[in-house]
Amino acid sequence: MTPDRLRLRAGARAIALGAVAAAALLLPSLAGTYYIRLATGIYMFGLLAAAWNLIGGYTGYPDFGGAAFLGIGAYATGIMMVRAHTPFPVALTSGCLLAAGVAVLMGSLLLRLRGHYFAIATLGFMLVLQQLAANLEITGGGSGMNLPVARTFTTFYYWMLGALALAIAAGWVLPGLRVGYALAAIRENQDAAQVLGIAPLPYKIIAYAGNAFLFAAAGGIYAYWFTFIDPPTVFNVDFTIQAIVMTLFGGPGTAAGPLVGAVILKSLDTVLTSRSVFLHNVFFGALVCVLVIFAPRGIAEIARAPGGLLQAIRAELRESRL
Amino acid sequence: MTPLLEGRGLTKLFGRLVAVDHVDLAIEPGEIVGLIGPNGAGKSTLINLITGLDAATDGSLEFAGRDLAGLGPPTIARLGIARTFQVAQPFRNMTVRQNVAVPALFRAFPAADVRTALRDADTLLDAVGLGPKRDLPARALTTPDLRRLELAKALALHPRLMLLDEVMAGLTPAEVDRAMVLLRQVNAEGIALLVIEHVLRAVMGLCRRVIVLHHGRKIAEGSPAQVTQDAAVIEAYLGPRALRSTPLGPAPRNESGRGP
Amino acid sequence: MRLPEPLRVPAHAVGTVSVAAQIALQNALNGLLIGGTYATVALGFSLVWGILNIVNLAHGALVMLGAYATFWLFTLYGVDPLLSLPLTGAALFVFGYALQRGIVNQVIRAPFLITFLLTFGLELLITNIAQAVWTADIRSVTTSYSGWSLSLGPLTLPVVRGASLLIAFVVAVLLHALLTRTRLGTAIRATASDQEAARLMGIPIARVYAVTFGIAAASAGIAGGLISLSFPIFPAMGAGYTLIAFVVCVLGGLGSVPGALLGGLVLGLLQTYAASWLGPNYDNIVAFSVLILVLLVRPAGLLGRAQRFRG
Repeated sequence: MTPDRLRLRAGARAIALGAVAAAALLLPSLAGTYYIRLATGIYMFGLLAAAWNLIGGYTGYPDFGGAAFLGIGAYATGIMMVRAHTPFPVALTSGCLLAAGVAVLMGSLLLRLRGHYFAIATLGFMLVLQQLAANLEITGGGSGMNLPVARTFTTFYYWMLGALALAIAAGWVLPGLRVGYALAAIRENQDAAQVLGIAPLPYKIIAYAGNAFLFAAAGGIYAYWFTFIDPPTVFNVDFTIQAIVMTLFGGPGTAAGPLVGAVILKSLDTVLTSRSVFLHNVFFGALVCVLVIFAPRGIAEIARAPGGLLQAIRAELRESRL
Repeated sequence: MTPLLEGRGLTKLFGRLVAVDHVDLAIEPGEIVGLIGPNGAGKSTLINLITGLDAATDGSLEFAGRDLAGLGPPTIARLGIARTFQVAQPFRNMTVRQNVAVPALFRAFPAADVRTALRDADTLLDAVGLGPKRDLPARALTTPDLRRLELAKALALHPRLMLLDEVMAGLTPAEVDRAMVLLRQVNAEGIALLVIEHVLRAVMGLCRRVIVLHHGRKIAEGSPAQVTQDAAVIEAYLGPRALRSTPLGPAPRNESGRGP
Repeated sequence: MRLPEPLRVPAHAVGTVSVAAQIALQNALNGLLIGGTYATVALGFSLVWGILNIVNLAHGALVMLGAYATFWLFTLYGVDPLLSLPLTGAALFVFGYALQRGIVNQVIRAPFLITFLLTFGLELLITNIAQAVWTADIRSVTTSYSGWSLSLGPLTLPVVRGASLLIAFVVAVLLHALLTRTRLGTAIRATASDQEAARLMGIPIARVYAVTFGIAAASAGIAGGLISLSFPIFPAMGAGYTLIAFVVCVLGGLGSVPGALLGGLVLGLLQTYAASWLGPNYDNIVAFSVLILVLLVRPAGLLGRAQRFRG
């Protein structure tokens, strides 16, 4: 491709991005409440998916306990707003920083594990926090806690959008950074990475803390949005599973993949299944099964494969079945 | 001159299996030393001890005067010891260039930023002959190319000592010759080499000194000519009856198992 | 998942032995009893993990299905739960075999995240379909002998729990015998040890995997049947048992029947004692603190193999 063509492509991409950003910023003044809520929900899951991608996609450590940090963010925000009367932005940021701190501590233990053990240990961590929240007084125990009501709904829209932008930006710049190279090497072959001078744990902790910070942001905003939280609602593996499925669907290890997955799947989910939890679970359950069998590397990579969709799917099957 | 790498009484036990048995080893700066022995002699285990992948059960190991006990592989790599693996370990989904940029970014005096590291990588790739393939994903490379990639990655660490674990395995004689030229160039930069090999022609041609291991013990040490005439070495490879017949010559068919 | 309240010591036994000792002993007995249940739950899980290298997140759902099977056989046809166990086992074997052959097999060589997610998806499907069909109402199996208990000196032993422990041992022994003394068992162990070599020897790998999964499902079903006698039954009950199975395997080491037994008993004891000190709402915390501790300090478990380098 000639330099002129490349410049044209870059220019076109910049314009498209600008248009999308403008649309996002202007949506609340153009559309009705239903669409604003739908968009906020999509942003939330895009945020979660992009966050999970940092530790699960780029680093290759599939975290199943992300909701632990979502819960920390939710409760920290709630407690600070209710007990200490701190304004939302301060409470939210504190919650995010707290979650990141917890991630550094827990990560230094958990990130030494690999594979199945890491996955289940992180899930276990989330369950522990769920039970703790149900037993402590400061969190309101099993009855949950109420947050103050915000004045307008668009607050949540913009906060979620901002957090999403942060998450996408992190995923965008990461591969070009020294940290990104370390994480990629760890993902590809951790033992080879060590022999080349990389001490894996600190880098894994960075990715894990980034993931925690963003999950907490989603949690804090969610808490303020729904004004009521209780342990099983926020410390709920469903958030993490959706984040994982959306990332896998859209393509792990890319910056836009998680968002694409979130947009498509969350819209489908809302339209088809918002009436019942049962349908939602069956939808995701079936989707997970179909996805991991036929397109484990994401729809994006399948779509890009030479030889067409069917051939790509058949190749995947041949590789993974007995 | 103090040795670059000095191992004294190195021992490694796996349960009751003695993999490495009180081995003394010294490599001078800039030397090329060969390490040979029948399969199962403990060569790879010894390399793992040096690079920190395994901890020695007994004995001491010093590199440039620094005690290596208890140090992990990343630290040892940054101290200046690089290794290649018998089975190549590339970062399969990263490009060739990115593969080499990784060690450039994490060595003791790292490249200033990612762009510089990539430039370093380009230089090294040209030196080993992989320049044209730099943007391919590593999983697309052939075996000889993967070997060259391993070499480039090891070089990107700016090591003072390189441990080459059977780099010549499976190469044609012409490829072996080319590899030897490359290794001599590397050595000319002042990098010491410990060459573990079954391909005797390479050992004879490159190494000034050869160490022979058998059942974890060092059974001979000397110039290539001396070692290949050594009775204990012949017995180790060919059995006691071989002592009555001719001594080993260059690249005998049954010894390397792969033939000339 | 909630544990039942630790049993109290009957008043007439106080006086001969100190109260604290009695409570401790009763807790030990309870711990062992529930540990037997945990072991049975974990046997199949350990088998699948050790041999197919799959962490089956739907294992608990299979336990749940076994519990419901026992419940319906009892409620609709009056079949005694202890007698219907073989039936439940057989039915779950068929289900497990089909599940593996048809679905799980498609991803068996894929990276573990994929199989992990697949079994998670299956868990979601099975649990939610169960909920739609049978409603979320809590059921239980109450037979004429459900309330009986034996007095062993100062200790009380509910008959049903005792029977569960006994059956747990029987199942474990049968499974161990199957693995070590039959041709099928040898084929299974060979496949686990070196799949390529086993294939070269003519062992039908796909069928071995399916049979193994079937056996695991059968043992999960039997565990579910035993559980239905002492604990409440509801569609979402599975997840808790999957996690317990995981902790038991970490404690006892993978693919080892004695390991699952030991791990189950140890976990049962730990949880019962923790419940009596901290109260019943800390069972997950205890289980997972134990898990994380063991994984970090002795990843081989009490009887297993270690990972090589970490961190």
